[in-house]
Amino acid sequence: MKHLFFSLILCLFPIAVNATAIEQAPWEPRAAAYRLTLFLGNLNPTPWDKLESSWTAPVPGSALPVSALSRVTEVESADIREALRTKDRQALFEASTTAISGGILRHLDAAETALGTSSGAEPEIAIAEALFRAFEDGIAAADASAAKEIGRAWLVLNSSVGSAGLLGNGIEDPNTIAFAEAKSTISDYVEQNYLLAEFTPRSKLTPIPESIFVSGVQVDLPATLPPGSDIADQREFPRLVLQFEEAGEDEANLPLVAYGDMLFDSPEIFGGPAQELGITCSTCHNRSDVNRDFFIPGLSHRPGGMDVDSAFFNPMFNDRTDDHLDTPSMRGIRFTAPYGRDGREPSLRRFVRNVIVTEFAGKEPTPFQLDAMVAYIRQFDFLPNPKIDRAGLLTDLASDAAKRGEVLFNTKFAGLDDKSCASCHTPSRHFRDGKTYDIGTAEPPFPGGTPTAFETPTLRNVNFTAPYMHDGSLPTLASVVDWFDSTKNLGLNADQRADLTAYILAVGDGEEPYQHFEGTDSVFRLSWEELTTFASTLDTLLPAQDAENIALLVATVAPDLAADASAMTNQAAKPDVYEFAAILRAVGVASAAGDWHEANRQWNAFKIRQAEIDERMF
Amino acid sequence: MLNRRLFMAAACATLALPSSGFAAQGLKLAFIPQENPEKLLGDIKIVTGWLTEQLGVPVTGFVTFDHAAAVEALRNGDADISFMGALPFVLAEDQIGAIPLLSEVYRGQPSYAGRVFVRRDSGIKTLADLKGLDIAFADPVSESGYLYPLDLFVRDGLIADAPDADNFFGQKFFAGGYQQAMQAMANGLVDAAGASQYADLLLTPEQQAEVVVLAESEQIPSHAIIARPGIDADLQSRFTLAMLRLNDAENRHLLAYLYGPDGYVATDPAVYEGVRATARRYGYLK
Repeated sequence: MKHLFFSLILCLFPIAVNATAIEQAPWEPRAAAYRLTLFLGNLNPTPWDKLESSWTAPVPGSALPVSALSRVTEVESADIREALRTKDRQALFEASTTAISGGILRHLDAAETALGTSSGAEPEIAIAEALFRAFEDGIAAADASAAKEIGRAWLVLNSSVGSAGLLGNGIEDPNTIAFAEAKSTISDYVEQNYLLAEFTPRSKLTPIPESIFVSGVQVDLPATLPPGSDIADQREFPRLVLQFEEAGEDEANLPLVAYGDMLFDSPEIFGGPAQELGITCSTCHNRSDVNRDFFIPGLSHRPGGMDVDSAFFNPMFNDRTDDHLDTPSMRGIRFTAPYGRDGREPSLRRFVRNVIVTEFAGKEPTPFQLDAMVAYIRQFDFLPNPKIDRAGLLTDLASDAAKRGEVLFNTKFAGLDDKSCASCHTPSRHFRDGKTYDIGTAEPPFPGGTPTAFETPTLRNVNFTAPYMHDGSLPTLASVVDWFDSTKNLGLNADQRADLTAYILAVGDGEEPYQHFEGTDSVFRLSWEELTTFASTLDTLLPAQDAENIALLVATVAPDLAADASAMTNQAAKPDVYEFAAILRAVGVASAAGDWHEANRQWNAFKIRQAEIDERMF
Repeated sequence: MLNRRLFMAAACATLALPSSGFAAQGLKLAFIPQENPEKLLGDIKIVTGWLTEQLGVPVTGFVTFDHAAAVEALRNGDADISFMGALPFVLAEDQIGAIPLLSEVYRGQPSYAGRVFVRRDSGIKTLADLKGLDIAFADPVSESGYLYPLDLFVRDGLIADAPDADNFFGQKFFAGGYQQAMQAMANGLVDAAGASQYADLLLTPEQQAEVVVLAESEQIPSHAIIARPGIDADLQSRFTLAMLRLNDAENRHLLAYLYGPDGYVATDPAVYEGVRATARRYGYLK
């Protein structure tokens, strides 16, 4: 699982291949705009308005709140603006690549000039290196020997600037010869690959060096997300309520559910960039709820959702519409069929399959895998709410205002076709009715066309699912009440609207909505318990000699164990986790080889080791 | 005989203004540059704004060129307070009689160590195995990113002193920071990295699993907040108490604007004895 939201990891590379979600170090403003340009430029249709603002306004993930264009030369700025004006994708690639490479060379020159002066060369080198980061993964993927040579050149460069020492101690003069040689290594490569009078047209915009691109060599460029992306878990981590768990049952005793839980946390079930980036169901649906910090520039209009059918995750199902969707909460999902905002899927099983295959380009899941996922997901319950009883009626814990609102909620209005709010948000049916309606929120797809009808959403735990409506257009429940009052001519006065809002807040409440971490009850402890529970399904899979699902489990759990160790409070025990993950990998290797004796031996070693180190796993 | 340190302290005391004068002037904070000096300028505004509210006197801040400039600012009264590492502090203490007030806390400790890291698959098992191989340190004036990791080789008798390092290693680099040194090692550009105790957390989780600690230095007191001698005692005390309030839940978000520690504890000169000894061994202190 990806529970690294409290870690201090600041990765210099873009969020990339098989990475557990980590926070990226901020980008130099021009480099941030460039990487965003590469990402947005590969969407289809090209989002020109977003491309323009990526250069003319500060972008997420930038180290400074300034526009990239404020940092380029007049000529570079003019070329970028012209490419944006003419909506020429290739020209924009060339102009922005030139701006980055030109910046690298200028800052290297400035560093050389500053050698041995009181201002020092270090600040200029730092900026040049921060700009070079925009190309770095392209060179690493396409030209490993050059990447190493240039990497060493940066080391030489930083080492040859000399030192002002420490209060008169350890003063060192710059080594101008070594500096010049290293600078030349970097500059020459940049000039030959990124600062050209003419670039070869590219169908996909990448930081792959021109010389390699022209050669036609196939480059396995890792999938990356643009600066400002946040796919780590929500900082305020939602609480998960599983029915069996609350009833006192241990997940380890329910292998189908545990395996489904593992699949919910596995990027292996997805394909394409989602799998490469380590995205899982739980990346967006943190603990059955929503990750409201999730954000991918270009795909998300706001945190907590994205356009799931863009060109990025599965080009086959690109609907060519920039239609951000707020991630829905999955709490109580077994009670909220049909699925999808428009209720298009009557079955949870079909909906899960749709997410895996259609949205995230995964292979067709096996019936067992779908069984397992549905078995797990069906255990998601709502957060308990003592303000309502099992019939959905307010209890004595609700306020007087809420009780007045309850009466209004059950009052029929002419503007609602002589129905009440409760007619659709039926209290005894978890405040929904399983039907779809056109309540005037969506525009028809074309003049005379039929607007989409939307399924009645539950009001259970609705306090935690802002923003509201299918398009997230209303920020608060009070604004939802106001919207119905004005568009449906309910004729409510201010007090009545406040009472109705109080009622919805009462039925939409929930106990302990967020997980609390303290001391040894740490983020890693939660991961540890989950991952070892996932592994416990080997007690069932090994006797069945189910090599396929063992492989999937090991490919998910072993790397997650190792990766999550970086978030340990008890850093001293980190090596234990690496060793422990290696035992699980050994189970996978033996299973793949059909050596079931060895696989079982390693599995037993795993369980023994788990008991030995359990106490220090936090 | 009046040594330099006592002389400077005495000189500053002589020049000290009355308490009311300090209050009127407010408090001037010197910040040491970090990797992103422009961001630091924004951070300083937030921090000094908060401190102004807390202390009821104007608090201003500025970024110095380096440690030497910060110490000079403390010496001539351009700064009352400065943020500073343990090694430059003991030099500042020696040169101008600077006073330690607070120490940063990371992971529950007001101290940390320097470490030598290698790749798990490198086959390197001891510091001696690094003879003739390449190493990247963070910065030539870094305690945990150079001096203390280097000291591990000295203590093992592998090198005589800092200049002798060039005879032991194949190539010795200064990468420009902890993260750069660690990335150089993790990416195979060099064989080892000398960096601070938790520098591996600057790698990706996948890289962290591929890195092992070869050796760890003695503990180094965390970066300090120091004051110039002669600072108004009442203002110094109120400043220290205000900084300690950053540990309170409602103020903790401000720590991100102060080099990002987990908190602060009050400190005293005694905890720097080990640093003074190291500084003397390497000729930084006489």
